[in-house]
Amino acid sequence: MRIFKFLLISCFLFSFVQCKKDRNTRYEIVETPSYGDNLNKDKDKTNIEFHSILSTNLFQKPSSINELTRTDRVIQSCGDKTLINEVIISNYMNSSQVILPSRKRMVDSTERFVEETYVRFFIRRPTEAEKTWFINFINANKSNPSFRPELVYTAFSASDEYMFY
Amino acid sequence: MKRRDFVKKTAALAAGSVVLPYILPSGSLFAQTNAPLAEHVVYVLFGGGLRQQDSILQRYLSDSQNFNVAGNILYNMLEGAPPASKIAYGTTPAGQPDGIQPIPKILSQTLQKQGTIFAEMRAISGGHYGGLNSLITGSRVEGQGLKVRPVNPTVFEYARRFGGYKATDTWFIGNTIGNSVPLLNSSKHPDFGLTYGANFFAPNITFGSDGYAALSNAKIYHPQEELEPMYKMKNFLDNSFNIKKGDMPGIRNTDDERTKIKEFIASTFQRQAAGQLPMPPISGGDGSTIGYAAEVLRVFKPKLLVVNMSNIDGCHGNFTGYLQAMHRADHAIGFLWNYIQSIPQMSGKTIMCFVPECGRNLQHNPILDQNDWYGYDHGDANSLRVFGGMVGPNVQSNLMVGSESNPIGVVTDFNLTIAEILGYKSDVQSAGFIDPNAKSLFDRI
Repeated sequence: MRIFKFLLISCFLFSFVQCKKDRNTRYEIVETPSYGDNLNKDKDKTNIEFHSILSTNLFQKPSSINELTRTDRVIQSCGDKTLINEVIISNYMNSSQVILPSRKRMVDSTERFVEETYVRFFIRRPTEAEKTWFINFINANKSNPSFRPELVYTAFSASDEYMFY
Repeated sequence: MKRRDFVKKTAALAAGSVVLPYILPSGSLFAQTNAPLAEHVVYVLFGGGLRQQDSILQRYLSDSQNFNVAGNILYNMLEGAPPASKIAYGTTPAGQPDGIQPIPKILSQTLQKQGTIFAEMRAISGGHYGGLNSLITGSRVEGQGLKVRPVNPTVFEYARRFGGYKATDTWFIGNTIGNSVPLLNSSKHPDFGLTYGANFFAPNITFGSDGYAALSNAKIYHPQEELEPMYKMKNFLDNSFNIKKGDMPGIRNTDDERTKIKEFIASTFQRQAAGQLPMPPISGGDGSTIGYAAEVLRVFKPKLLVVNMSNIDGCHGNFTGYLQAMHRADHAIGFLWNYIQSIPQMSGKTIMCFVPECGRNLQHNPILDQNDWYGYDHGDANSLRVFGGMVGPNVQSNLMVGSESNPIGVVTDFNLTIAEILGYKSDVQSAGFIDPNAKSLFDRI
C-alpha cells in the first residue's frame, strides 16, 4: 500500500515535469540608416588621424607609423593646413597604388557614385540638396576630359568636414 | 523726385563716396593712419640668445673666457676690427683647426653704416618662447603659456587687419617646428586670430627629407581644367559644413593664393635639385633658413616677412659653436640684405629690422667645450640686455642710439616700428595690446 501511495505521488509530481514545445521567437530587424549628419562633427582629427584615415580611403590599407609621423611633421611645418593637405593628397594621387573608381562609373552611375563618395569620406549620406548639386555638377563637367573621380576625391579629402569627426 | 528723397539719396551717395575708397581687401574700414615709410618690411629675429658682451660690445673672449682677446665677429652688421688671435669663429677647412677661417665680409658697407643701431635695448623675457612672443606681439606676454598661440595679436595680424594685406603678403619663416615656433604666425585673440594670420614654413622640414617624401611628387593640376572644378566642389562642401572661426586648424589663403603656393612648393623642390636656390655662400642651419626666406621674397615679394634664427643657442654647451653660429648669422643677414637689393620690386623700398629675442647670462655655466671655453645659459638680468637695428629707406644712416650706460628702447618697440613703416601705427596703438612702454623706434631717436 505504501508503495502504491509512493508511486501515485511520484506520478502526480512527474505530471508537472514534461517536455514543452520550443517557442520559436523571431525578432524582426527594422532597417534604419546609421549614417549621421555633419552637425555633430565638432572634433578635429589630429594630423596622424587624418592621414591614417585618408590613406585607408585612398589605398585601402593603412600607412606605416613612420610615414604618418613624417607627414605630421610636414603638416606642422606649414601654416595653411588645408593647403598642405591638398599637396599631400595630390602626392598620394600620383601613386600607382591609389584605388579610384573609373570615370565611366562616375559618369554612368552618377547618383550612386555621389552617395558612395559621401559615405566613404564623410560617413554619412548626402542630403537631397547635396546630391542634386553634385549630380548637376558632374553632368555639367562630362565634356571636360580632365574632370575625373580623382578631382572629386581630392575635393572631399581636402574639405573642412573631412578634417572633423 | 521729392525733395526728401533727393536729400536722402544725395547724403547716402556722399557718405558712400567717402567710405568706399577706404574699404580694404580684408573688408576692414580702417585705412592707413600715417604715411608709410617703406613698402616692405623684413624682420629678422636674430635669435637664440645673443650675449651683449660677445656681440655688440665686441669683447670676443675677454669678457667670457678670461682671454685678453677682443674684436668684432659681426662685421657685416657692425663697425669694428675682428679679433687678432684665438680665431675660432670661422669655418673649418679640411685638416685645419676648428673655426680657423673667418667668413669673408659680404656687405660693402656694414648695416651700422647704412642704418641705425640701438646699442643697448631691453628684452622682455630671458627665455626663447617668451622672447619670441614679445618680438612678434609687441606685448609683455604675461599669462602666456607654452604650446599655445600668443594671447595677444601678432605683427602679422596687425598688418593684415589694419594694412589690408592678403595672406601671401605676410610670411613667417621658422627654423623649426619645435618650441611652439609654428604657433607664432597668429594669435588666438578672438578679434584677430587665424583669419589674419601669416603663411608659415619651417623650410628645413617642408623642403627637407620629410617634405621631399610627402610633397615633392605632388601633381600640378591645370588651373582651369582641373583646379577650378576641384575648388568649386571643395568650396561647396565647405559652405555646407560651416566651420566655426575658432575651429580653423590653420590660416586660409584664397584659391588663387593656394595655387601660387603650390607652384612655389613644386618649383622650390626643382630649384633645390638644380642648385638654384638663393643660399648664402656659407649655408646650412640658420643660413639655410635665410636662403629659403630669400626664395619667398623672390617669389611673393611680401609686405612683411619675419624670419627666425636660433643656432646661436648652442652656447649652452658649446661656446666655440656659439661664436661660429653668431658669425654665420651675421654672414646670412648680410646676404639677405644684399639679396633684397637684387629684387627690383623690393630694392630701395624695404626696411630690414633685426633683434635677438634675448641675451645671455653674465656668468658662465660649468660646461666646457673642445677649447675648454665655458658655456652660457640665459635667464638672468644680463640676458635682458640686447641690441637691435634697422636699415633701409627713411632710416637714418650711420646712427648709433644709446650705449651700455644709457639703454634706449625695448624689444617690443619693433612691433610699433613696423606699424609705422607700413602706415597703421595709431590703429595698433588704439587696439590696446601693445606693451604700454613701447614706442616706435623712430620716436626713440
